[in-house]
Amino acid sequence: MQETYNYKVVRQFAVMSVVWGIVGMAMGVFIAAQLVWPDMTYGIEWMSYGRLRPLHTNTVIFAFGGCALFASSYYIVQRTCHTRIFSDSLAAFTFWGWQAVIVAAAITLPQGITSGKEYAELEWPIDILIAVVWISYAVVFFGTLVKRKTPHIYVANWFFGAFILTVALLHIVQSMAMPAGLFKSYSAYAGVQDAMIQWWYGHNAVGFFLTAGFLGMMYYFVPKQANRPIYSYRLSVVHFWGLIFTYMWAGPHHLHYTALPDWTQSLGMVFSLILLAPSWGGMVNGIMTLSGAWDKLRTDPILKFLVTSLSFYGMSTFEGPMMAIKTVNALSHYTDWTVGHVHSGALGWVAMISIGALYYLIPRMFGREAMWSVRLINVHFWLATIGVVLYIAAMWIAGVAEGLMWRATNADGTLTYSFAEAVKATYPFLFIRFMGGVLYVTGMLLMAYNVFRTATAGDARVYNDAPIPATLAHA
Amino acid sequence: MESLYILIPLSVALIGGVLWLLWWSVGSGQFDDLEGPGHRVLMDDDRPVPAPPPDDLR
Amino acid sequence: MTDLNSCYHCGLPVPAGERLAVRIGGALRPMCCRGCQAVAQAIADAGMEAYYTQRTALPGGRAEPVPDLAELAVYDSPALQAGFLDAPPADGDGAPCEVNLMLEGVTCAACLWLNERHLAAQPGVLAVEVNFSIHRAKVRWDPARTQLSRLLRAVAAIGYRAHPFDARRRDALMQRERRTALWRFLVAGLSSMQVMMYAVPVYLATEGDMTAGDENLIRWASLALTLPAIFYSSAHFFRNAVRDLRLRRLGMDVPVALGIAVAFAASVWATVAGTGEVYFDSVTMFVFLLLGGRYLELRVRQRATDAVDRLSAVVPAVAERLPEWPASRRAEAVAVASLAVGDVLSVAPGAVVPADGVVVEGDSAADESLLTGESLPVPKAAGATVTGGSINLQSPLLLRVTRIGAETTVQAIVRLLDRAMSEKPRGVMDADRVAGRFVALVLVAAALTVAAWLWLEPARAVWVAVSVLVVTCPCALALATPAALTAATTRLARQGVLVTRGHALETLARVTDVVFDKTGTLTRGRLRLLQVLPHAGVAAADCHRLAAALEQGSRHPVALALLAGADAAGGPLPLAEARHLTGRGVEGSAGGLVLRLGAADWLADGWCAAPVPSDLPAGGAGRVVVHLASRQSWLASFVMEDELRPDAAAAVEALQAAGCRVHLLSGDQASAVDAVADRLGIVERVARASPASKLEYVQHIQGRPGPDRGHPRCVLMVGDGVNDAPVLAAADVSLAVASASDVAGASADGLLLSGRLIDIALALQRARMTQRIIRQNLVWAMLYNAAAIPLAAAGLVSPWLAGLGMAGSSLLVVGNALRLSR
Repeated sequence: MQETYNYKVVRQFAVMSVVWGIVGMAMGVFIAAQLVWPDMTYGIEWMSYGRLRPLHTNTVIFAFGGCALFASSYYIVQRTCHTRIFSDSLAAFTFWGWQAVIVAAAITLPQGITSGKEYAELEWPIDILIAVVWISYAVVFFGTLVKRKTPHIYVANWFFGAFILTVALLHIVQSMAMPAGLFKSYSAYAGVQDAMIQWWYGHNAVGFFLTAGFLGMMYYFVPKQANRPIYSYRLSVVHFWGLIFTYMWAGPHHLHYTALPDWTQSLGMVFSLILLAPSWGGMVNGIMTLSGAWDKLRTDPILKFLVTSLSFYGMSTFEGPMMAIKTVNALSHYTDWTVGHVHSGALGWVAMISIGALYYLIPRMFGREAMWSVRLINVHFWLATIGVVLYIAAMWIAGVAEGLMWRATNADGTLTYSFAEAVKATYPFLFIRFMGGVLYVTGMLLMAYNVFRTATAGDARVYNDAPIPATLAHA
Repeated sequence: MESLYILIPLSVALIGGVLWLLWWSVGSGQFDDLEGPGHRVLMDDDRPVPAPPPDDLR
Repeated sequence: MTDLNSCYHCGLPVPAGERLAVRIGGALRPMCCRGCQAVAQAIADAGMEAYYTQRTALPGGRAEPVPDLAELAVYDSPALQAGFLDAPPADGDGAPCEVNLMLEGVTCAACLWLNERHLAAQPGVLAVEVNFSIHRAKVRWDPARTQLSRLLRAVAAIGYRAHPFDARRRDALMQRERRTALWRFLVAGLSSMQVMMYAVPVYLATEGDMTAGDENLIRWASLALTLPAIFYSSAHFFRNAVRDLRLRRLGMDVPVALGIAVAFAASVWATVAGTGEVYFDSVTMFVFLLLGGRYLELRVRQRATDAVDRLSAVVPAVAERLPEWPASRRAEAVAVASLAVGDVLSVAPGAVVPADGVVVEGDSAADESLLTGESLPVPKAAGATVTGGSINLQSPLLLRVTRIGAETTVQAIVRLLDRAMSEKPRGVMDADRVAGRFVALVLVAAALTVAAWLWLEPARAVWVAVSVLVVTCPCALALATPAALTAATTRLARQGVLVTRGHALETLARVTDVVFDKTGTLTRGRLRLLQVLPHAGVAAADCHRLAAALEQGSRHPVALALLAGADAAGGPLPLAEARHLTGRGVEGSAGGLVLRLGAADWLADGWCAAPVPSDLPAGGAGRVVVHLASRQSWLASFVMEDELRPDAAAAVEALQAAGCRVHLLSGDQASAVDAVADRLGIVERVARASPASKLEYVQHIQGRPGPDRGHPRCVLMVGDGVNDAPVLAAADVSLAVASASDVAGASADGLLLSGRLIDIALALQRARMTQRIIRQNLVWAMLYNAAAIPLAAAGLVSPWLAGLGMAGSSLLVVGNALRLSR
């Protein structure tokens, strides 16, 4: 019998990634609108900003980003190891389990059921489900690696492997809590320890969920879509180990000027700066893959997404360490600058690379030569790019303005501006940010339409698993 | 900073794990050819198989 | 790729009127010849058309015809396989066999992929692993289902050649060496990075910021993580240092080991006793940087060895033996290794003679340029001796083996070479010379420091002395030379100049005389048709077509030159018959005429009725002239010349501009040598030189004083023939043009893989720059120490400053060296 790759689970995750992407980003636009028109949903508790904001972050990070990661890691590990996924049923369980987690989040968070930890708001029963799904994911992924038919493990898989293991560890350590009823629990840590654990988690969630995993995508889809080998494979291996060695230590920069000992904060700052080296090494490696074939960028909108995402990666990994410098942080912390930084990473890097990867995967998953409309991809690209640029430029200006106004003092030592004055100054930029978000979501809707037309464009019977070439199966 | 008494031994143990991983990688030849894998990925032809004619399906 | 006039497979022009094509990627693609057509068809049939979209370089030339399975069957003989199989087939046990194949004809990564996929798709193949950096394949197969010969044929079918070779011992050794070095380096790297993470907070903490308990904990953790870097990664530094001390010499490893040992011991003491300073971060970083440098050096060296292997692996492994001669002419293919003296062998035209022997039948010519430097073919008739390694050019020869294995001429030359190489004085590395003085200086400084501080403030004496020893850790000093050499070597390799010996760059920089061997070095070693001079009013093109008809199928240089231009003249006429008469020419009939093509006296000798034309051009001065005549009249003369390499003149000029004297030494006739030397402006030339006289000439130059007072002249020898090998070895430094012979490549200090002579001048220039940078690096390392020792002795250098200074000075040295790689 012809051996095949399991495309079904990849297809499911890819489609759901698009769906959750729209939901999560629309939610973001909605709460951005609330900041511009604060009275919009006045009095409706479950539609208030405080309830919906965690739902927005959870949906975009774990639902949209998570599904994209599942889809691409399952695809890449199979194709580079020349073998079918380790267990079809366990893989199917990770799909349905993960969807259940997202739905549970969508139900509980608007009701105010939360543990109050940033990026880990879900209550303990859902946390347990996440842990089970995630461990199954690890079993499927590493099981596939173990049964691989190639001696070498491709670098993308190393990134995915590190991402899966670290997220498992982070999630379990961070979610340690004592239940007090079905919907309530108390953290196992207290005081400054809790803060330190929270930002050890928060920082590494960014580092491994939103960076390592997506770098895995980058190292596969950029060369594949450009049809050129990665600029330097050697550099990519160095990149991996460099990131592993340094990322873990940069967490305390989230807690500058807090009760954390000074030297711990300084440590966070120093390693944040060191982190710049591996990050930029990776970016250069990705972008230089196109050297000698820049003309492909003119004609291929998928490649535009991938390369633009790398540029945003480079930008935000430069901005991040800068903001970790204590004196810069004194200005930027708690302002909209931080929000802008997060979104240049999230919309510019994470979302764009995922969108590029999904545009690569979806026609293959549905047995089509290409997406239904390449022109629509191009339109999507421009909407997304203009959206991100509007968003981060607005937030940057707003953030710096806030920072400067908050710290301005008169000769007698009193504050020059009241807090409300600073809020008022940011008002036009909050509107521009909202518009940027609208553009971005519009692009996602075009994508959904394009995906729908691609899936239904012809014979549904070709939604088969792809055969593994015989020459590879026994090599 | 009591947490240091957990975090530092933990990091030493973690380094042990990373060391094992490195040892395995070197021993199993993961670093022997650092050019080929970059090319091999491209050679895996993952374009979809064209749709078979209707009566050809199982 | 849509070009209809060039071959889709090899990119060469499609001859007019050729209508071959293969369907690839849904369209018919033009092919230039049957060879390319067969290969392209095989690739398309195997579903590997992606090769055409993925490749970044075209094949080296038109595809050769695929050899017969019977021809390759000899590779299945157990006797031959014992020579290179990792797991030779035992009778009937069905255990898988494994072989290492060297792939020839690879031009880009897509080629390797093609080979890998194609081999893997063969029935009976269990595993294939292609190493992209060294173009080798390791194949495992089931002997019950396929044979090695089928695998070799499969590779040939897609246009490549695979040579089995014995990689067992050396490869395993090299692999172990590489992995150990990498592992040592990684352990030190991990250890240094983590220790640094512990050290930075301590440096950052202000007074009272960190409790004593916290700091103590960090020290113990650092100690634990430093252990592997000291006891595993640096173990060989200590071993080498002890060996050096026993031999009463001071190499670079002595100060290195001293630095590591002192800094580590002091830090351990500080940790245990809870006083003083710890230097764990400096020690581990020091080890890490040094091992990084050593690992890169190792990789460069191993890559050079691989390249030499490739050249020497392409030797005939198979001979055709006539066991029942003269009773029967039944031939069998046997391994060269299993030949015995007295065996009768058949050597086909174009084949390499597998062993030394005497001709018993046949009349041909052999190309011995590899062995003697003689560029023109040597006639071989019954009774003549033939040397293994020469090429049979015209017709089949039968020869009786007189010498085999270690006794053959080629082997004798190799032995001569070995001896010459072992006698060559090796230059002592600058850094090692410096190291000895350096150790003494540091020890004296430390002793003085202790003495001074004992008098000033006894409690600090030991710690200040330790800081002196740590700060002088000779990291920059140890990296200064290897970093520069590695960078330069890598850069040259990228340009196609492969340096295979450590001293080569150092010596290249001192070269005052460049000695060329004419054959195949300055010229291409093949004839080119300059002129066709028709007599008696016959059209030149017609004469050319007639001459080409006679020479069809011959591999004689004259024939190749005539055939090369024949297409332009309208292609060779059909040939009725032809007979090659060694030393004279060809006789045959074509175009309805009985013709002779060859030397003038042979044609005139009562054969051609017409008188010899008065204006016959003469040969000599590097020119070869042949004439064409029928029984009735003289038809034409053909003037040919050994072609100069296109960049020979530029290279000679560049070398002379760089202040080198250029010499030409050759085994050829004086006229030929003069012709080349005059055209290139080389004054010093010697013709008809034997290997012994070449050696003498080189030694004579070396004996004379050079332009730089106190230094004798330094000779760079550029050669390509096996006979050059002893001379190559005797010269101060040597480069071999790699497209030529195997053994010369192995003996030279460097290989000119690019085949561009101008690269010699560039290599010289790069070598001089390397020496300049090494000197700068050493001066910098010295200055750093000169500044650091007084500061440390004054007690002003804290551990973080010591670490920073060391890393900074090392990075500066490496950065300076990296300028060489641009």
